[in-house]
Order: sequence, then C-alpha cells, then structure tokens
Amino acid sequence: MAFSGALTLTDLNDFITPSQACIKPVEQTNKPTEEKGAGAAVTEIRVDESGYYEVSQAGISNGSTNKGRKLEQAQISLNDCLACSGCITSAESVLITLQSHTEVLSVLSNDVDERIPIISIAPQSLASLAAAYSPQPRSASSTNERTSITDEILTPREVFHRVRRFCTSILGFAYVFDTNFARHLALKEHVKEFIERQQEAQQKELTNGDSVPHPTITGALPLPMLASACPGWICYAEKAHSEMLPFIARTKSPQQVMGTLVKQWIGKKLGKRPDEIYHVSVMPCYDKKLEASRQDFYDDVFKTRDVDCVVTTGELELMMKEFGWDLNTGTLSPVQPTDGPSLSIPVKKNTPINLPGVSIPELLNHPGTSSGSYLHAILRHFMSTSPVPLTLSVKAVRNAADHEEYILRETPIENGNTSSKIVFKGIKCYGFRNLQNVVRKVGRERGVRVESGAAGRLGSAGGAGAGRGVRKIRAVRKGRGAEDSPSAGGEDEDRRFDYVEVMACPGGCVNGGGQLKPPAMPNSAALGDIDAEGYKRDWDGEGVAPSVGAKWGDRDWTKKVEEVYWRDAKNVDEDLVADQLVDEVLEELCAGDDAERKRLLRTEYRAVESDVIGLAVKW
Amino acid sequence: MYQVTAVAELPGHDDRAWAAAWNPSRPILSSCSADKSVRLYSYSSTSDGTLKFNHVSTIPTGHTKTVRSIAWSPSGKTLATGSFDSNIGIWEQEDIGEDELGAGEWECMTILEGHETECKSVAYSSTGTLLASCSRDKTVWVWEVHPDADFECLGVLMEHTQDVKCVAWHPSEEILASGSYDDTIKLYVDDPTEDWYCFATLTGHASTVWSLAWSPKGSYLASASDDKKVRIWKRADNYRWESVLAISAHDRTIYSVSWSVGRPKSGDGSLGWLATAGGDGSVKVWELTEPAEVEGISKNAPPEHRLIATLPSAHGVHDVNTVSWCPRGGMEDVLATTGDDGVTRIWKIVPE
Repeated sequence: MAFSGALTLTDLNDFITPSQACIKPVEQTNKPTEEKGAGAAVTEIRVDESGYYEVSQAGISNGSTNKGRKLEQAQISLNDCLACSGCITSAESVLITLQSHTEVLSVLSNDVDERIPIISIAPQSLASLAAAYSPQPRSASSTNERTSITDEILTPREVFHRVRRFCTSILGFAYVFDTNFARHLALKEHVKEFIERQQEAQQKELTNGDSVPHPTITGALPLPMLASACPGWICYAEKAHSEMLPFIARTKSPQQVMGTLVKQWIGKKLGKRPDEIYHVSVMPCYDKKLEASRQDFYDDVFKTRDVDCVVTTGELELMMKEFGWDLNTGTLSPVQPTDGPSLSIPVKKNTPINLPGVSIPELLNHPGTSSGSYLHAILRHFMSTSPVPLTLSVKAVRNAADHEEYILRETPIENGNTSSKIVFKGIKCYGFRNLQNVVRKVGRERGVRVESGAAGRLGSAGGAGAGRGVRKIRAVRKGRGAEDSPSAGGEDEDRRFDYVEVMACPGGCVNGGGQLKPPAMPNSAALGDIDAEGYKRDWDGEGVAPSVGAKWGDRDWTKKVEEVYWRDAKNVDEDLVADQLVDEVLEELCAGDDAERKRLLRTEYRAVESDVIGLAVKW
Repeated sequence: MYQVTAVAELPGHDDRAWAAAWNPSRPILSSCSADKSVRLYSYSSTSDGTLKFNHVSTIPTGHTKTVRSIAWSPSGKTLATGSFDSNIGIWEQEDIGEDELGAGEWECMTILEGHETECKSVAYSSTGTLLASCSRDKTVWVWEVHPDADFECLGVLMEHTQDVKCVAWHPSEEILASGSYDDTIKLYVDDPTEDWYCFATLTGHASTVWSLAWSPKGSYLASASDDKKVRIWKRADNYRWESVLAISAHDRTIYSVSWSVGRPKSGDGSLGWLATAGGDGSVKVWELTEPAEVEGISKNAPPEHRLIATLPSAHGVHDVNTVSWCPRGGMEDVLATTGDDGVTRIWKIVPE
C-alpha cells in the first residue's frame, strides 16, 4: 500500500484530494494560431485582477507594457453540471447560486427589460414563512426576531396575501400566484398516466404474465409508477439508478406545469409571447433551480425557459428583509433595517398598467401529504371510480412517518365472501435512506438490475452489465413464488407495489433545503438553558452542549411546518371549480389533442452516463 | 519475552492481498485481493500440535475491481466482500458439508449497491443482524440483514468530510465506529424512534485513521493512523470516549490494528494483546493492562502498555495491509497478516 509506482498499475484509488470529481473538460476552440514572434515559443501565464494573460517571455524581458493575450476563463455552467455525473450535488449547489434573488432584483430594476414579471409561490414556502412568523411556543424568550408582538397565528393564506402585497407594491410583479392550481392540473395528469400504465400492465398480464420495463406499442411505461415532482430524486435516479427511469412518472412537476401555464396560457391571455414574460418561482427546494434549468423546459423557438428563475423560501425572506417588509404586519417596516444594505435597489419597474385580471383558484387544498398528495390523488381516483366499496389501510414501516404503505382492498361483504382483494398498493417514501430501499425493492420485484456507482457505469459501458460476472441474484427464493403472480393466493403481503410517492428530503417538501431554518430558540428550557435570572447558559464555555439537541430541534421544526401547512385548509370543496378551469385551460391550449396535451404536461428523463472510469482518472 | 514464529505461508493471489478474515465458528480463513478473488483455507491441528492450512476454494467474485475488505457474519455462514467497484457482495454456500469446510461453490446471494465510489470496509455487528460499510464517497451505511439474503438500508451517515477507511462494530453493543481520511473517528448508535446518528467524534490523530479495533470487552477502542501512532480511547461514560494513550508504534503508516484476549502470563487486569502492522513491514504485539488502582490516580489513567514481540519484514520488503487475530478458542495467540506480495501469512506468538 505504499505510495509507489504500483499505484498506476492497479485500480487503486485509495488516496484522494478534495473536489477531484469535476471532470468538465477544457474545450479547445482551435482558433487560427497567431503568427508567433521570435522567442514567443516560451510563454508565461500572468495573473492580475482583471484576469489571466498569456505573455511571451520576450515580452517579459523587454519589460514591454504589452499585457499579452487575455486567456479565456474556464467556465462551468449549470448545464455542464447536469450533463455530468462526476459528482452528485456539490458543484451543483455552488452553481445554483447563479439563480438567485439578486438576479431577480437586477431583472426587476432593469428599465430596459420590458418583460412582464410574474411570480409563483409554492405552498410549502408559505407554510415555512407562516411557521417562522407565528409566535413560537416559548414566547417568553423572545430571541426570535421574526416573532410578532401580537399573538396572531399566521396562516399560509394570510402569508400569501402579505407576500403578494410585497411582490406587487414593492418589487413590481404584475401577477402573484400560488402553484396549487398548477399542482391540481399536474395531479390530474399524474392520475391519467397511472391509469395508462395500469391498463398496459393488465393487458400484458393477460397475454404473457410479466411486465417488462420497456415501452410497448401503446407507449405506456411499466408499474410501479414513481413520483416525479422531486428534482433531487430525479437527479439522483438519472445519475445513479438509470434502471429506475422507466418507472418514473413522465408528468411534469407542479413548478413546470406552472411554467407552461404562465408562459402559454396566461401569456395568451395577456397577448404576450413566452419570451415577453419573466417568470419567477419560489420553492422550498434548491434542486428546483436545477429542474428549471433542464433543457426539456427550454423553449427553442422563443429562447426562453418556462421558469426563468427560481428562488428559495429563504431567499424570498431575505428580499423582504432587505426591503424592510414586515411580514408580521404586511406593511413596510417603519424602522429601516439596521443591518444589510439600505434600499439601494429602488425597483422602479414600469409595470404596464391595464393588464387584464387573471383569476385562478387560490391555494387549492389537496388533502394527503404536504409534499403534493400524489399518492392520495391516485387513492382518491380508485375510491371514486371503484364499482365496489374500498377500504384503505395505512401501515407505517418501522414506525417511521417517512415510510408508509397504503393498501386499498375491496371491502369484504358481510356474511358472504370474505375475500378482500387488494386493488392498489402504494408507498410514501421520503428521505435518502428510504429511497435506497425503494430502489432495491422495485429492482428486486420487477427484475431490473439495480445499478449504481462505478459498477453500474462499467457494466453499462461494457454491454448491459454482462461483463460483471457476478452471478445473478436468485430472483425468486423458496416459498416466495407468489411474488411473481399478483393474482395468486396469499397475495396480501407479497403483492407488488403499484405506486411510490418518492421525495428525497426526510419529512418531504416542508423540510426542503430551501426552507427557513428553525428560529434560534434556546435548546430547551427544560434542560436548564436559562437560569433563574434569565441568563442563557454558555454551553460552549462549559463544553457539554448536547449535540443531540440540534437534531431534535430540526425534526420538531419540520413537524411544526407540516402542521402549519394544513392550518387553513379550507373545507369548501373547490375541486369542481378547479376541474372546470382545468378543462378550460386544456381546451384553450390543446383543444382536445391528446398528443399536444402530453407535449405540454409531460417530460422525459435520460441516464447520465459517467465517462469517469476509475482507471482513467488518477488522484 | 515472546517470539513471532511463522506457521504457514499461503500464496496464491495474483496481486496484493488486502485483508484476511477468520471464520468465527469454523476453521476457515479467507483472504481477498486486488486480483478480485477471495481465497478460502481450512485448517486443522496435526498430532504434534502444529497448524496445517489447506486451500479449499477460490471465489472469483465478479467484482470488477479490487476486493478491499471481507467480513464473516457471526454465524460463520455468510461472507461479505467490499470492493472498489463500489459494491458489496454477500456470499453463501448452498449446502455446508461438515467435512468439506468451505470447499465447493460459493454463491452470490445479493449485491448491495448504493455507494457512489470505492467501498473500503465492511463489518457485521456482534449479533449479525446489522452490516456496516464505508466508502470513498464519505458515507457510512448501516444495513439490516433480513431473511432470504434481503437487506434493508437503515441509515446513510454523511458525517465524515473525507474518504472513510474503516468501520468496526462494538463487540457486544450496537455501537459503530468509523475512521477516515479526515483524521477523525466517529461513533454511531441507533435512535430507537428515528435513524442512526453520530453521537461522538474522536479527534487526536494528525493524519488518516486506517483501522479500528475494539478491546475484547468493549471498554476501549484502538485506532491506527498514518501519523504512525496507535491511540487508545477509553469509555469514560456511556456515550463519551476519551483519548487516554498514544503509542508511537511504527516508523511508517500503521494500516491495521487487531485486538484479542491473547495469552497473557497473568490474567489480572489484562486487556489482552494488540497487534499492529503497516508500511514499515513489521508486525508488533503489545500487551495492555488496566491501570493500577492507586489512590489519587485519575479515572482516565491510561492502560499500561508493553511491547512484547516484534517481527520485522513480515512480508519481506512489502507493506503489511492487515493483521488479524484468530477469534477461536485456544487460538488466541495465532494471527494472520496479508501483504503487498499477495501472500497471507500465519503467525504464532510463543514465549521465548
């Protein structure tokens, strides 16, 4: 194991340096070579504030003022990152800052830019803000600067109204929407896609028994269908588990459906082309920035994206703070913020007046999960269309709220047939760890090879993993034959899954990476953080700060945001109104053309193959 | 005092031999190598008391890269391989013939995938219900072993900031330790209501932590490092471990440490024997004893340590990659080493 020449002779990559993973090649532009002067063969790279310069030795020795040829800076764009599997998220998270709130402000304050600014806000972001600006349980210790002096409980709806005022009156947005109506549309399409897949699977079962993970004549993909709204999951699947891609729903996420709605449908209403609208979305998640940057959501004709810029909940809060907008009152704060820049960016966007009103239902409620209720939308579909009454049972796997099984059975008829045939089996699965188990389970049940990491990459490069040589896992072990035929007896526990609501974050979208951090609350009064005289104990000084505390704090905070998310869920069933509008929208956009609807509401995924092979890279 | 005597030399790997693992319940020794294979040997005592090793089987594994690490389940029926191809292989024999001892076909029961890059180490917990692995991708994974060679991922621990070199389970409790290129050791437990989490980070080494070994009773943890030191950490409280001793043990990087009960001359306060090996090619054996209980001596007094045997050039000019005590009763003084020469060697510690 010595650091010897042997290092180059084996596949040993045991010694590393940080950030070796970026493999973005430096492209050669091959410009016509300039005539070289005498002595120019030897050059040096000189660096100053304005950049890098290639300077000939002659130039240096002459002491000439010739600065030399300015070298191009190597640049890595978001798209380079998306196309590479050198690393999973690290470089991306850095580049993501290119889509930032400063970018939004610079567009809004640019008088030459005449695009109509529209902003769409995700409901999870509103819940995060509402939770942070509501009085905290331990209000005695008012270390929380966000806390209102009044004891008003903020609802996401109220927050939405206040944020809307901020976005229109201060920032100059022409329209402020929530993304729930887009989600309504996405959920409907999601259910449609599920039905297509299910019909295809049933068809196949009748003919040859098992389903194969390949599109067939009808084009429907196999079951189980996996949710597609989480960009973190999509990114991971494309890079590490390409065998999962056929299972992932093709339906666009609510953010991208909103993008289509804004640029196409609302655009038409305003008489604007897609590139005449500047669409910003506020999301609980950094990876939504990656999603918006996908090539699939770029309009080649108008050279514009469906969502031009994504900011996180935290960035929206930052903007409000910078402009002195007090979310507690929904007005400009009488006291200018002391820290940070004073209002140096006077947004004087000349929003065109006399724009027509665009009305979509506000904050539609989708009962189920705070991550979008994808699983519940399908459950509801079964419940409402089944000819026989169905019973739903929910089982938490290993007592975890992040991993639950949902089973729909035909309700047994009393005194008669006791059969309770399973009609549908779905899982809710949040967090990277649970996601691993779903990938394993789906791979095992459906007989697709789980492939990840170097092995998968090498395997697929060398021809469908044939070179691997690892004997195939014995797919069906003794006594588990029932797995293969879902209709066989004793199906209950072994029945394969039909649907999985996958989210990469533990706790789902309310705990997204872009959400507000829990307010700085003292660890716990019960632990004696604050002494009798109200002094905060100096944990650092005493060196016994329980690190476990932070962990619990975060989890409690997620629970709180979850609770706030449902706080003002209206009981009024607005589905009918929303459904009508969906029909209207689809009629206006695609006039009953099935293919056109799919073009607008669905997308595609592709495996990101790594060109990094261990043998080729040494570090 | 003691001498390290050669018992057997087991060549056969075509490339460097990375690790050796003794089957805990049957007389089988396994080794793995950069040649992507695992070799299995059975052994028995001859009438004159010497150990005789027989090569009984070679598993070609099918890993596409180096097999870096191997571990037996406590039952001795299952073998796990950790490979630089990022995967973990789980191997079993269809029928275990009593007299064949490891001979015959070993079948790949499943492949555990998930690590992004090279898997560096695998380890079974003392009850065999958990399997841990670590990787250059900086993560430590905890898997639960289910029937039918099924595994469920219980945790992906992203605590280290660099390559994780080794994982080691406490001998009786479900406490996991990992050592890393970030120079730290992390300790993890399961939170019954939630996930696995890191409850302690042990700092002190000035360079990579290559190997970890718990004392037989689990009240101490030994770590081997690129800083040429072995550190001994003592359990000061349930979830608190403190550095109590640093031994400048070798002239070059220490790649491996192993801790057994040994055959101490006096059992009083014995903490057993610690074997260390590494880049300087030597194998050293240390005897550790509990600090004498003297009035006024602090609770965290270091254990007493004594170098009782040294074997220079165990594998000639080559590095020693692993040193491993035999865990079986009556063989506490036998250890195996693997080296860059591709050879596995068996040694016995005998009084002079």
